[in-house]
Amino acid sequence: MLQKKNVPLFKKWWYWYVLLIAVLILLIVFFDWFTKYFS
Amino acid sequence: MSATDWIVLIATLAIIVVYGLYKSRTTKNLEGYFLSNRSMPWYLVLLSIMGTQASAITFLSAPGQAFTDGMRFVQNYFGLPLAMIVISISFVPIFKKLKVFTAYEYLEQRFDVKTRTFTSFLFLLSRGFSTGISVYAPSIILSSLLGWDIFWTNIVMGGILIIYTVSGGAKAVAYTQQLQMVIIFSAMFITGYYIVQLIPGVNFTDALKVSGASGKLNVITTGFGENGFEWKDRYNIISGLVGGLFLQLSYFGADQSQVGRYLTAKNTTESRLGLLMNGLVKIPMQFFILLLGALLFSYYQFNSGPVFFNKGVDEKVYQTRYGDSLRAIEKEFVVLNATQGRLSASYLEARKTNPVNSAATKDSLVKVNMQTDRLRDDYKSMLKKADPSVDTNDTNYIFLRFVIDTLPAGLVGLLIAVIFLASWGSIAAALNSLASCTMVDFYARFRLKHSHYGAEDAIEEKKYNLSKWFTLGWGIFCIVVAEFSTNMGSLIQAVNEYGSLFYGAILGVFLVAFYMKRINGTPVFYSAIISEVLVITLYILDKSGVIGFGFLWLNIVGAMTVVVFSWLLHKINRTMPGTVLQQDT
Repeated sequence: MLQKKNVPLFKKWWYWYVLLIAVLILLIVFFDWFTKYFS
Repeated sequence: MSATDWIVLIATLAIIVVYGLYKSRTTKNLEGYFLSNRSMPWYLVLLSIMGTQASAITFLSAPGQAFTDGMRFVQNYFGLPLAMIVISISFVPIFKKLKVFTAYEYLEQRFDVKTRTFTSFLFLLSRGFSTGISVYAPSIILSSLLGWDIFWTNIVMGGILIIYTVSGGAKAVAYTQQLQMVIIFSAMFITGYYIVQLIPGVNFTDALKVSGASGKLNVITTGFGENGFEWKDRYNIISGLVGGLFLQLSYFGADQSQVGRYLTAKNTTESRLGLLMNGLVKIPMQFFILLLGALLFSYYQFNSGPVFFNKGVDEKVYQTRYGDSLRAIEKEFVVLNATQGRLSASYLEARKTNPVNSAATKDSLVKVNMQTDRLRDDYKSMLKKADPSVDTNDTNYIFLRFVIDTLPAGLVGLLIAVIFLASWGSIAAALNSLASCTMVDFYARFRLKHSHYGAEDAIEEKKYNLSKWFTLGWGIFCIVVAEFSTNMGSLIQAVNEYGSLFYGAILGVFLVAFYMKRINGTPVFYSAIISEVLVITLYILDKSGVIGFGFLWLNIVGAMTVVVFSWLLHKINRTMPGTVLQQDT
């Protein structure tokens, strides 16, 4: 309960971890497009 | 450098030192000296983490790396967000709950004193020498480009930061890193703007298209060749995700220079937030630094540039009998350079008007670029013949040479200041962590018999003063290492490879500590020794050409060896009671 109260922005830390993985996947997808578009 | 550049350089460095001293003037106890009284908010923790990780070499070498090899180096950081998650879940809560000063202090509570001491010793061994190289690496570049004496450059580079690091401790490190990062990012952004502005008639997207045509925007590579996966290939998406995860786990979870940064946070939430934010911003930041190198490549397609970027070496070798041959290559290069500009313009035009023809123009451009690469190789061979002691790797000089040759007065001074500030950020954190391990894991542990460094005691002031001396001692040690670091070849490679020899074993010990609760200290201790022997053997076999093994994989091998052997030795110990592996009491 204490941990839940202390999580900024989201309800649980778990959401932060999903956000990081989602951003990583999006970056890889963007970089893949970037590589192909400019080569 | 002009007078304006000198004023900007000296003023910037003076502001940092004074700011560091001012901000840390209230620090008078050991917890304040090493951990800023555990009072930092997440954004200062974030800037401190970033300032510690990004050395001068990050800002000098990365653009040069993109210029020569393309942007694929960014994949090295793909494991970082994953590592931040693992550390936030497993490492941070335990370190914060136990209120440890050093990461290794936890190992005595979890295992035993010999495992703690061995791991802390490995850290001091790897971080002490690599910090010495971190002093030398930017110094040698500045000395060569500006004609400064390397002996004094080392002393200035490593010496000035000692003033605020010794007197101010972790608080001075964190506050100066905050200001340093703001100055560094501003200077890099302005430089990027200038690069694009200085390419005649070409906008930002066109500049990218030109560098992309020559394969410089190869951000994603798979690492698979004709013979399957290339284990020797350093930067690809697989080694970046898997090898990078282990490397960053070791660095952020088991290296006191980073653990010491997020232990300064006021609570677990602020530590986690700082680390997770680092996971969000690190890859884009590295991408933009590399992008500067790719844009610089476009700049030199349209503008005349040097064959070899380390000016200091050129001038020396001109005096030898190879001078005429070098000048002949330079003349040939000027002709090719003009062709590069013409073909790049044609390629951009063809992409807009006739996409079918653009492929043919692109092929011609690639061929000319290959010719210039060959010419550069010939030039380097000639330099080596003229002076065998010369370092022909000019990757670290590409970005700075552009700055010195092209940017207006004032900005050159600011960029030189950036090199000092970026170096100071990581060196200051390293000195603080080296001193904290020496004090907490060795002096207090063995001299004062404190197994856990907790509440203040009667000799707090003595320990605080002694910690300052330890910081000063490590500072002098690093400058001495820097003075002896000549002829080490590629320095960024040396630092990374050297770190990989120790990181795996240290991480393995922590992984067993966190995830294999039933295993005790003795199996882990012997497994760490086995791991070190194996990693060093693999490294020697790779260096002597017997096997091909990229250094990033050494971290995984080192860590997994500790995990697997700990489990095996634990099982043997359980089935054969009374053997040598009995737990110490």
